[in-house]
Amino acid sequence: MTKIKRMKKAYKKGFNLIEAYPVEFSETVILVKYDGPVDNFSFSFPDKKVEHIIVNLCPTEPWALPNRAVLRNRTHDFLNKLETVRSKYFPDSHCHVVVNHHEATLFNELNQYKAGANRIPPFAKGEYLHLHTIKPVYPYDAPVLIVKNILGLDIAFGQNAAEQGILLLDPQNVTGIFEYYIKENEFNTRLIPISGTGLKDNKILKVKPGTPLKRMLELYVRTDIKYRVFLDGLLNGAEVKDLTQKIDWSTRNIVVVEERDYKSLFPYTKVNELLFTTSLMGELRRCVYCNHCDDICPVNLEPALYWHCYDRGEKHKARTYALEKCIECGLCSFICPSKLELFQVIKECKSLK
Amino acid sequence: MKNTIKDIETILNENLNRIEAFIHSHPKVNFLFGALFEAADGLIRSTRDTAKNPPFIRNSMDVKQYMGGILVALFFGWVVPAIYFYGFLCVIPKLIVSFVVGVFVVDVIWVILAGEERINEGGFVTCLFIPAFLPPQAPLWLIGVGAAISILFRNILGGVGHNLVNPALFGRLMLTICFPTMVVSGWQEPSTGIPTIQSLMHGVDAVTHATPLIAFKETGETASFLSLMFGANTGSLGETCRVALIITGIWLCVKRIANWRIPIAYLGSVFIFSAILSAIAGKTVAPPIFQLLSGGLIFGAFFMATDPITTTYSQSGKWIFGIGCGLITVIIRGYTPIPEGVMYAILLMNLLSIPIQSIILKIKYRM
Repeated sequence: MTKIKRMKKAYKKGFNLIEAYPVEFSETVILVKYDGPVDNFSFSFPDKKVEHIIVNLCPTEPWALPNRAVLRNRTHDFLNKLETVRSKYFPDSHCHVVVNHHEATLFNELNQYKAGANRIPPFAKGEYLHLHTIKPVYPYDAPVLIVKNILGLDIAFGQNAAEQGILLLDPQNVTGIFEYYIKENEFNTRLIPISGTGLKDNKILKVKPGTPLKRMLELYVRTDIKYRVFLDGLLNGAEVKDLTQKIDWSTRNIVVVEERDYKSLFPYTKVNELLFTTSLMGELRRCVYCNHCDDICPVNLEPALYWHCYDRGEKHKARTYALEKCIECGLCSFICPSKLELFQVIKECKSLK
Repeated sequence: MKNTIKDIETILNENLNRIEAFIHSHPKVNFLFGALFEAADGLIRSTRDTAKNPPFIRNSMDVKQYMGGILVALFFGWVVPAIYFYGFLCVIPKLIVSFVVGVFVVDVIWVILAGEERINEGGFVTCLFIPAFLPPQAPLWLIGVGAAISILFRNILGGVGHNLVNPALFGRLMLTICFPTMVVSGWQEPSTGIPTIQSLMHGVDAVTHATPLIAFKETGETASFLSLMFGANTGSLGETCRVALIITGIWLCVKRIANWRIPIAYLGSVFIFSAILSAIAGKTVAPPIFQLLSGGLIFGAFFMATDPITTTYSQSGKWIFGIGCGLITVIIRGYTPIPEGVMYAILLMNLLSIPIQSIILKIKYRM
């Protein structure tokens, strides 16, 4: 009973970041030693009864943690942990595991487990587990879209999915809950992928949350160039100005990108060189109504309308164009050929009450 | 070899940096040549700006590539075929006059006087349009005047991004008003067959008096579709070789520079309306396929109507825009003494696109 749902027409395009910015991580996981004070693992269990657990094994950003680092070729172990966590803390809930539709081997493993779980009496609960495949297109794994796509439920952006009885579980948190709360082992490390053009090599680090960023990056950053450090992805993440900042249990990834703040000759011959840098790749112009932003918008909005409102000085009017639907993925600014700060404008219009 | 190129690049880069520093440190020089330098520099070097707000990486497509795409499409769509049909010496001087007057005189003076940051590459697109919809034997000064009016008009309205109607078509409209005989005479027979050096340089020296559309108005005869398709017929300089225009137009749509909805809506509605009207009214309205392949319709549908700034922003509005263009074109061609209506249709719909856009927004978001 596998459920392979087709992409509903709830959203349009998105952008395949993984194809555009291929990031290869090295095989080994490196432990970062740190003796200072560290944060202990804690997981805030939702108050409401959980009906659906969604575990996302399909990262849509190239700099996100690859599956193999969590699963380590032991998919069955991981699913056993998931089942234990589910039966102990969230009884009677359904588990939805989301897989990249290209990863056939992983999908087969999951299917085998599901078939096995049906057969063996103590685990005869195969129907609790549901498998889904999605395309690895950014931002299809954003909470709003993944819930819409898999459960057909609507949640608003910024709303806590737990209010509707949906729990979105990070694969690392599954391991964490299993080790810390059920086995009562010590669990104080987290896998953080670091990548980008500002590094010599893309690595997966095993870090104790509480470790400062500087400590993690000092061995790997390139010293011959300027770079900037970003937390949780480049599209809607945050820039880190102060490298003594400590990482915590919610940090997903770190990207270090070259800062190209000088002019380079003949940019059309070296697009690849410029691509993965902070360069704007063009000059700031007026909106030319090219429709790139509403073609790419995953929730069918027309971001240029907000820009026009903002440009005319009518920020309050932006709300009338379904602004609350925006999931803040940042793709409109990313694609804009006029290099307008659409994402910033949207945030400003949203903050206007 | 690679090293030499690298050395040249470093030297060039350093010198450009030096010039830039010099210009920025002298306000008077900056006032006069800042924008010029920025424009020239922008063509060969990337920008210094980096993303200050999320997202911190940006796509490589920028307005320069956008306009460059249109220029390439126009070059292969009409310049190359026009050289084959009318000769090198007919086409190139017109282009030079158009560019020099439009971009290098009017636009540069405007930018210096208005104190704008840089010269917009949109001017090249506008100036490449001007010779294309004038007759092959149009005098050079006419093209210069047209380019000057277009660029001036665009700049008065606020430059690229704020133009109300397509500036090139507005220039052509002004020429039609001021010099009504000149824009509809001077048609030349294209040279066909295997090109010789003589034909590639000068074309054939034969003046005719009618384009297929004028001939249809007068006698009711339609030219053969094959000759219309491949351009062996009289017409404006850039509009005759429809095959090249269709191919480059489709390339533009695939590259998502032109929006595919507009040509499809425009050509489709011309076909449907002319089929209906010619069935009702008989010989007054030209048959559909002849309508599609004559005049500037293909050129207008793929290159002029798709000018993104002058259409509606909404995608559904683009269908209405295209259908409106088609309807007006068929009506003007069929029921007025003017043989060709593409220019008027696009200009009218450019103006109507603003109310269309606001009505669509009202319906879509239920204000």
